[in-house]
Amino acid sequence: MTAIDSLDLQVPEGAICALVGPNGAGKTTTLKVLMNILPATHGRAEILGVQSTHLSPRTFAQIGYFSENQDLPDWMTLKYFLAYLKPFYPNWDDARAEELLHQFDLPSNTKLANLSRGMRAKAALTSSLAYRPRLLVLDEPFSGLDALVRDELTGALLESADGATVLISSHDLSEIESFASHVCYIEHGRLRFSEEMGSLTRRFRAIEITLPHQPSLPVSTPATWLGIETSAGVVRFVETDYERARTHAAVHRLFGDVEVSVNPMSLREIFVTLATAGKKAA
Amino acid sequence: MVPWRVTFRPGVSLCEQVVYSAKKAVISGQMRPGDSFPSVRSLSKELKINPNTAHKVIAQLVNEGLLEVRPGIGTVVAELPRSRASERISLVGNEIEQLVVEAKKLGMGLDDVLDAVSDHWERLGGEGGKFLRRRS
Repeated sequence: MTAIDSLDLQVPEGAICALVGPNGAGKTTTLKVLMNILPATHGRAEILGVQSTHLSPRTFAQIGYFSENQDLPDWMTLKYFLAYLKPFYPNWDDARAEELLHQFDLPSNTKLANLSRGMRAKAALTSSLAYRPRLLVLDEPFSGLDALVRDELTGALLESADGATVLISSHDLSEIESFASHVCYIEHGRLRFSEEMGSLTRRFRAIEITLPHQPSLPVSTPATWLGIETSAGVVRFVETDYERARTHAAVHRLFGDVEVSVNPMSLREIFVTLATAGKKAA
Repeated sequence: MVPWRVTFRPGVSLCEQVVYSAKKAVISGQMRPGDSFPSVRSLSKELKINPNTAHKVIAQLVNEGLLEVRPGIGTVVAELPRSRASERISLVGNEIEQLVVEAKKLGMGLDDVLDAVSDHWERLGGEGGKFLRRRS
């Protein structure tokens, strides 16, 4: 089975890049190939300028990886776990670890097995942030966690993100929208687009046209229009390449002199539009 | 601590929304001249925004003269000329425009809108709503 195919993706240094796509799109596989947890049958992945199959311990010590299903050594206490990791990371910062433990309100003498799901996530993130990684790879870090824990994790992450590069896959789109600088949309193992958050939210608009009569859909509509729906007196669609003059001209050409209402969309709405269109096309 | 909150709206530049909310906090007196302004780090951490966005917010506020950089201390709220009525009005300009657009869409008249505004005004404990109504 091919999980990812022709996936050509570059994450600029210093970006907080959100890897977004339906379940089974290939996000986790992509991250695992990057981290050399899975071998790629074709192509290559580079990380911090080094091919990921040739990562040296020195490079590896600058990368933080955290996934939702991460195994932790359950028999260790958190304190023991951090002490165990420390020698592997030349940049380990005790003060930062201490600060995170305090901020997260983590009990350092409890065995990892006895921590709640939220606390395990915080413990895992602490163990990655304590060495101030240059690159953080996070696979669904928020899944199954309550809103408060998600908030705390995001806060700690952003505090550490200044200057670091973050690659994060997540379905918590309303959260990611406020802090990701770039969005990569993956579907069926392919990269559909990769662009800056600002340019993405600028080009998507929900359009609603009010007609004086029952609408009849024109035979062909611009390829950039998705999810066209009609109901009594109204046509709705999503313009994926919005530019005021161009979009209005296309509407007027097809529907005559009608009232057009243009509304910005959240990342979540954009995702639902793309995922629905992708399902129809498949 | 960041002494104000922002409810983010989609499709509008995040930087502008934060700048706007900070201006509101300064002009409404929630933050006073000389108060220290949150750092990039705490803006980013508490509002959950990208550190680069937080950098831009502070740069823009410094640029517009709302913040001053004090070496060794950080950024503080600048001494402002008494805020003018026109400035306060321009701060709610967006909301007023939205209200007018929605009202026109629904075919409301100016009187209906003023009535509705004065109702809300009174409900929130403001005075002067009756004056508005009498006039209409």
